[in-house]
Parts: sequence; structure tokens; C-alpha cells
Amino acid sequence: MPQISIIMPQLGESIAEAAIINFLVKPGDQVEGGQDLIEVETNKATMTVTAPCGGRIESFSAQLNESYAVGDVLGKIEATKEEAARFGLDVPAPTKSCDPETVTNQPRNGTGSRVEPTIRGLPVPANASGASYMSPRLKARMHELGLSAADLAGIAGSGAAGRVTVEDFEKFMANLETQKLTKASSMRVAVADAMRRSWTRPIATVGLPVQIDAVLAHRKTCDPKPGPALYALRALAVALAENSAVAGRLVGCNIVHPSAIDVGFAVEAEDGVLVPVLRGADKKPLKELVLRYNELVELARQRKLPADATGGSVATVTNFGTFGLIWATPIPLPEQTIVLGLGAGRKMPHWDEAKGQFVPVMEAYLTLSFDHRVLDGGAAGRLLLRISDLMRHPEKL
Amino acid sequence: MSITYLEAIREAQAHALRDDPRVFIYGQDVGAFGGAFKATKNLQKEFPGRVIDAPISEDAIIGLAVGTAIEGMRPIIEMQFADFSTVAFNQIVNQASTLFWRTNVPCPITVRLPFGGTSGSGPFHSQCLEAIYAHYPGLVVLTPATVEDAYSMLLAAVALDDPVIFCEHKFLYYHLKAEKLPSEALPIGKARIAREGRDLTIVTYSAMVHEALAAADELATEGWQVEVVDLRSIKPLDTDTVVASVARTGRLLCVGEAWPWGGVTAEVIARVSAESYGLLDAPPQRLNAKDTPVPYHPNLWAAHRPTARSVAAAARKLIRF
Repeated sequence: MPQISIIMPQLGESIAEAAIINFLVKPGDQVEGGQDLIEVETNKATMTVTAPCGGRIESFSAQLNESYAVGDVLGKIEATKEEAARFGLDVPAPTKSCDPETVTNQPRNGTGSRVEPTIRGLPVPANASGASYMSPRLKARMHELGLSAADLAGIAGSGAAGRVTVEDFEKFMANLETQKLTKASSMRVAVADAMRRSWTRPIATVGLPVQIDAVLAHRKTCDPKPGPALYALRALAVALAENSAVAGRLVGCNIVHPSAIDVGFAVEAEDGVLVPVLRGADKKPLKELVLRYNELVELARQRKLPADATGGSVATVTNFGTFGLIWATPIPLPEQTIVLGLGAGRKMPHWDEAKGQFVPVMEAYLTLSFDHRVLDGGAAGRLLLRISDLMRHPEKL
Repeated sequence: MSITYLEAIREAQAHALRDDPRVFIYGQDVGAFGGAFKATKNLQKEFPGRVIDAPISEDAIIGLAVGTAIEGMRPIIEMQFADFSTVAFNQIVNQASTLFWRTNVPCPITVRLPFGGTSGSGPFHSQCLEAIYAHYPGLVVLTPATVEDAYSMLLAAVALDDPVIFCEHKFLYYHLKAEKLPSEALPIGKARIAREGRDLTIVTYSAMVHEALAAADELATEGWQVEVVDLRSIKPLDTDTVVASVARTGRLLCVGEAWPWGGVTAEVIARVSAESYGLLDAPPQRLNAKDTPVPYHPNLWAAHRPTARSVAAAARKLIRF
């Protein structure tokens, strides 16, 4: 007779484990399918583990007051083949703790083959609906009007589970016509589209204060003077040349590494943002980049960027400090994994260990927004630290 | 003067016999007895020699009809109950439906099937077989829902050169009434908007049209305007009218008294889904009889078939999706 594992079930959303607080039956007892067997306590409530099928309790491997993860084997039920098949348990459920004993339950011989469903015993929602459900008609209508899902964020749906019906949508659109409408520029639309595509990823931001006295002193010695953002850009390029994987893109199960360290920088132009690109920013020293940088800024402001000066960059620098902002959480371009931000410089007190007193320093925040699928806080922090180190020695950039 | 659905069928047959000497009626007890439901009452007297009693062999009846059709006649066949037409299945689907395609000789026979459930009729006197016949190329399948359609569509059936399965609903025979017979009609293959609405389209046919209309009345008191499409003809199926209606409402409920499996409701949903997916604001739904033989007991029967109440419940659920 097959032995069926009693498994810690998924007891609710975000519950990963549960502690055994009471056994309601003992080994040797005859139980029905669905009968309560074990009381368990989660961080949310007390619940019960039920019998996967009818049969005799063979053993409990779980211990009282111990915690077990969802999917762990808690014990065994000895069931007839028919009973096991009835509950779809005649093939082993994929469990986290792979139990070699359950494998022996399988009478897998070559004769009398029958088609086995790939997925068994899993609750599959048959009718996915809810607030995020968009009907074919709604999609078709939005497509017709050139709208995207984000445009519908303001509509409270009246359909099942709050979904937006076509009627809701048409009312919303009719109401819009009563309000003042201005045409969004093509640049605005392009930025909106890029941000919407980018926001499909989990994006996080970390930040670090960096002393920029050295940068400010160094730029006075140069002619023409490089902007502070260019220092950040060059430092980023150097850091990426040391380890380009942090700017890699995750596609499926692969990290796609950048083929060249071409770094873009955000330039506000009219009603949007343009991102000209400095090609091979890791290959040339800072002072060789200045002229090209200034030229690109000017071309971007005039919206006359040549085709080869946009696109194809691995990362972007954005100097939100020019707006007087100290801190921001910029969003990387959809085709990029990271965006480096530079805040406004401020005089800040800094404890000087040697002098035994606070001294004024110019400080600005560096921020790094990143695709959390590719990077974690640690890697992002290390990259920022490396950039900040490089910026302390601008003469080497 | 008022005329019932059943009387309209009798009148149409009388009209056909009068108009066309090639027409004759053949079936069990259609002669002196006037038919199991009196659909041929007095016709034998009025048209001597042209309303002929048949032996109790549906197979032989259709076989004879096909033979006379080959010889240029236009027989109207009465099956006592649609259920019994399965005994003539071979003659209908193998002979009649393929004849023209095999030989270029048309087969203008009309097979009248008194079909559908009435209280207490049980599994052998209640079945809806329209989907089975619609499955076969070469057959035309008509399902009139009104007195007017029963009359005009039966006349159109007799005039057609194709073999026609004429599904007349027994539930409508006596209590469905009209003031007078129509002088004009929609062509065969054209559906009818039985009620206009904007919130949901119910596509149905035959007796279920009336359940759907009653459900629409009920929903109207709740503020919903339901459009009801009466298909009239199952084959050919008027997809255009259905799609145009779904274009107005965005929601589709198909109601049929027949069983769900591979039925007319499934066909309608398949066509709408495939041809006009972008019109749907909710998953199309169907409501059919339960997938069991038709029960005898009146209470069970009422639970087995779709009713105004269950149609309204399904419609409500779909409107609120």
C-alpha cells in the first residue's frame, strides 16, 4: 500500500512556516481524507493540517513545538492505491525536503501506460479576475485610443473585484472631455512610455553622501570646467570597467553584460528629458571628455542630438542637484539596470578626527537606483562606495 | 381571431398543399387522426390523397421521402416526437443531407420535429436534437420561436431545395398566440433582435427566447437593459447579427434548452470568441439544460432546463463581472 506524505500546507499568503502545537490523532489511527490531523501555529493564526487522503496514520516525523517550512513532510499515511489515486496522490508531490521513501511508492512499470497530467493536486485558479483584469474589449479599446494600463490608474472599477469594465472606461473618457485638455508633447509621451516600461521591474534606490570639495577644487583648475555630473559619470565608467556585471541586464536566466561602457546623462529639454551618450567613457580621461560632454548638452537642449549620440548606453547619470534637490529616487531607463543620481552640494559639518572638531565640507548625495532582480543592496552599495572613492581623487579621473 | 403556434403550423401546411401540387404530407397518424398533436387536423379531408399515414418506421418514412424528392416531390414529414427521428438518422444524415452533393439532384424534404421539453414528458419525449442535425453539412435546421415564424419559416422550408429539419417546440404549441398570420417574414438564416438592450446580449432560440425575454423583463426592473437575439435558424447561423449585438453590449450569454456538450451555444461562443474577441468585456457564458437525460418529475424538469429565473441569475452574474 502506498505511503502518502503528510505535508505542511501553504496556510496563507506570506506564511513560510508553522509550529506544531498539537497532534489530534496518533499513529495507527484510521483517518478520513480532509480530516484535521495536526494543529499548527503560524505568526498569524492557529490552523490545522488535514489528511491528504483517507488511510491509517503510519507515523509522524514532526515533533511537538518544532517549526516546519511549507512543503516539509510531517508524517505518513498508509492508504490504499485507489484512495491515493482518488486524491491525485499516486505520484509524489514535489516537496522541498525530497523524501526518498515517497519515490518507492511509484509502481512505474512500462506496461499499461496511461496519460498522467503534468500538474496534479495544485489549486489552479480557473477564472483569473480582479482589479488588474482587463477584458479583451477594454484592451482593444485602449489600443484604439493609444492608452496604456497606467492611464487607467485613476478609474475605480465597478466590475468583479474592482476591475474596470468598458462602461467604467467610457464614463471616464467622457468625463475627461469636460475637463481642460492639452496635448502632451511627443517627448512627454516618449518619456512616459519609457518610464512605464521600466516600472515593470522591482526598482530600489540606495544613497551615500560624498565629499565633493576635491571635485570642486579640481574643476577650477580645468578649462573648460567640467560639470560635477561629469565627474560622477567618469567615476561610474571607471567603476563599471572594473566590474561591468552590475550594469548587466537580466534576460531569462542570463545576465547580459554590456559590450562597451557607453554612459548616458540626463539633460532636461523642453517638456522632457533627453539622454545623450558619451561613448567609451571608461577609455578616455575626464579632461578629454569635457568638450564632447558640453557639446552634447548643448545639442540636447536644442534637440539636435545626432542619432549616434543617443541610445545603446549601459547606465545613466542624472544630476538632480541642478534642481536644488538633495535626494531623489530616479528610475533607470527600461533597457538599463542602474541610474546614478547626484544631489545638490551643501556645506555640512564633518568631524575631523585629527583636529578634534567639526569642519565644514561640501557634501552631496550619490544615489543609485537599480533593478533589484540584478543587484542587491550590498552590490549597489559597493558600487556607490567605489564611485565615491574615485570622486575623492578627481585628478586621477 | 387568435391563432396558436400549432395552428400556424397546420395553416402553413395547408397553404403549402394548396400552392404546390408537388407537396404532400407523410407521417404516423397524420391522416384521419390529424397527427399526434393535431398539426394536420382535417388536412386529409381537404387534400385527399396528399396526407398519407405511414407505418411505424421512421427509417422507412424518410427513405420514402428522399425517394419521392428525387422524383420531384416536396414531402413534409412529421415525426411524432423529435426523439424518434434518431431511428431515421441514417436516412437523414447519410442519404438526404448528402444527396445533392453526390448527385446534383436536390432533396427538398421538410422533416417536422416536435421537440423540446414539456412538464412530465421525460427522457424520450423532450429531447432537443438541433445541434446533432446542424452538425451535418447539407441540412438546414430551423427553430422558430414565434407563431409568425412557425408559419412563415415552415413555408420557407417547403420552398427550399435543401432538406430542412424543422424544429417546432411542443412547449409553445398551445399557449403561444398571435393575432393573425404574417404576410411577410425575415429570410431564412437571418436572426431577429427580439428585444433591444445595451448591457448584455442573450443569444437564444425557440422556447428559450421566451424565458430570456421574461428574464430581461425581470432585469429591467433592476435597471439593466438586456438585448435578446432570437437566432430563428440554427443552420445557417447568423453570426453577423450576434456579433453586431455583442459590439453594442460587450457581454454574451447563450441560452439553449439542449445539452451543453458541443451544442449551439458552444458554437455561438466559439464564433464570437474567434471572430470578435476584442468586443468582449467579460468571458462569454452559456446556460443549457443539465448534462443528464431529461427527468420526468415536473420539479426535476423545471430544475433541469434553463428558466427565466436561472437565465436572469446567469445574466446578473455576467453583467456584474
